[in-house]
Amino acid sequence: MINNEFHKEESSYRDNHGSVYFFKNKVLRTINAPAESNYLTLKKQNIYRDSIKNNFLIDFQEVEKNNFPEQLKTCNIILQSEILPFISYPYEWTFDQLKDAALHHLDFQIFLLNKNCVLRDSSAFNVQFHKGKPIFIDILSLKHYEEGEYWIGYKQFCENFLNPLLLSHLKSIHHNDFFRGSIEGLETIKLNNLLSLQNKFSFNTFIHVVLQSSLLKKDIENPHYTRDKKKKLKKFKKKSYFFLLNQLKSWIKKLTFKKQKSIWGSYSKTNTYNEKSLHEKETIIANFAKKFKPIKILDLGCNNGSFSKIALKNGAKDAVGVDFDYNVITEAYNLTKNDNLNFLPLLMNLSDPSPNRGWKQNERKGFVERFKCNALIALALEHHLIIGKNIPIKDFVNWLVSLSQIGLLEFVPKDDQTVKDMLSTKEDIYKDYNEENFEKYLIQHVEILKKHKLHNSNRVIYEYKVL
Amino acid sequence: MKKIFIINIFILLISNNAYAYIDPGSGSIIIQAILGAIAAVGTTASIYWSKIKKFFTKNKKNLTDDKQ
Repeated sequence: MINNEFHKEESSYRDNHGSVYFFKNKVLRTINAPAESNYLTLKKQNIYRDSIKNNFLIDFQEVEKNNFPEQLKTCNIILQSEILPFISYPYEWTFDQLKDAALHHLDFQIFLLNKNCVLRDSSAFNVQFHKGKPIFIDILSLKHYEEGEYWIGYKQFCENFLNPLLLSHLKSIHHNDFFRGSIEGLETIKLNNLLSLQNKFSFNTFIHVVLQSSLLKKDIENPHYTRDKKKKLKKFKKKSYFFLLNQLKSWIKKLTFKKQKSIWGSYSKTNTYNEKSLHEKETIIANFAKKFKPIKILDLGCNNGSFSKIALKNGAKDAVGVDFDYNVITEAYNLTKNDNLNFLPLLMNLSDPSPNRGWKQNERKGFVERFKCNALIALALEHHLIIGKNIPIKDFVNWLVSLSQIGLLEFVPKDDQTVKDMLSTKEDIYKDYNEENFEKYLIQHVEILKKHKLHNSNRVIYEYKVL
Repeated sequence: MKKIFIINIFILLISNNAYAYIDPGSGSIIIQAILGAIAAVGTTASIYWSKIKKFFTKNKKNLTDDKQ
């Protein structure tokens, strides 16, 4: 995502107050004329510094525009913000991650309102995770509070945070597919249609979902009616603004997602290889990380993130892990929060990873564009895609080696209990699935640096470097 | 008069600016007004409730003081 070429971040078109550019591994934010006075006022009041100090806002500094390309010289102020190793999206987060992001957004709003400031929007894409904690990245979203103003981002907050959380809480349905279906989140009208009468029988749900939905429907059916009503409204008291934020905060804090059983939720306890093999794998990863000290490592099929953590403790700087199992990513996230490690666990089905989407299909980047790393670990993964999802063995190898320069890749043969179990319920159409073929395709792209034969099984781990 | 007109236009332009970037939704604004009213009623009720509570606890305290 970040490279040396000068280019504009395509998602920064929505707000006319500024744009985001990438240049020489730097993230730059220009401030356009309409936002200049607001920025300078807030800067004078130390709002930005205080927000950074309290871990609400991403760190940034003003930079001299002479050092940058001509296109940037027309604006008066350029900010350079801290680079986050990975950018993730709400449809890749678990319930706990989205809930923490929502609470971070509300806490930040309350903090700002105490300083006579507010946020101009409530996009969940403005919250990112760094070292297991949420951080707000849209510097230009901060604005001076005007006496009597309503919360502009309330509707967006409901669509981006509250409604997806309620869907999980009330209906036990993960928000991810809905959010991936619509870049704007889950509309209040749609959520209201999904709720049962029993679900609606609570004060908070009635106000924020049922009543809001009926008014939003009126907005569509008879826009003049609601607009006229809106015009007649009194000013919104600051006390009421605080009440609304605090009420949502205490409600969201209580929302939970009932854990459903999954095979992989207890994988690290019940997997088919024994403790000795596990220790062997850990040693291989530790030595790999010590040897290459990768800046960014991608852990495919990361489970609860234990292998990523070994890599981080042995020389890797940042790690992102993906897995399709909801429970293991939840576990990985909660462990990361406690460890304060540079590990970002995300929910993803690798046979259908996050696509490029939004305006010009370039607004929100896909999996490959965001998570290409220096190094990769893919242990006990390939059989889930090749046998589980029928991905041709050659295709899998070609795809995998395109993701990093170096890597550790495990091959699980057909005589392994895991593969035997997988083949017990489906026809064995995988005639070319063997170590010889796997290696044949692999050496077309890589140099195999080491081939580790694991004890007590016929599994192999390849340490490779792309040619 | 002309000056006031220009100032008014200027104020309108400024306030419009703050609302220009995302659509807050008229229905969602009305909900906030309703919640604001509920909050105001709630606050008033809680003030009176605490006054009533105070009155009774005071009376109770006076009664126990008298007994002693």
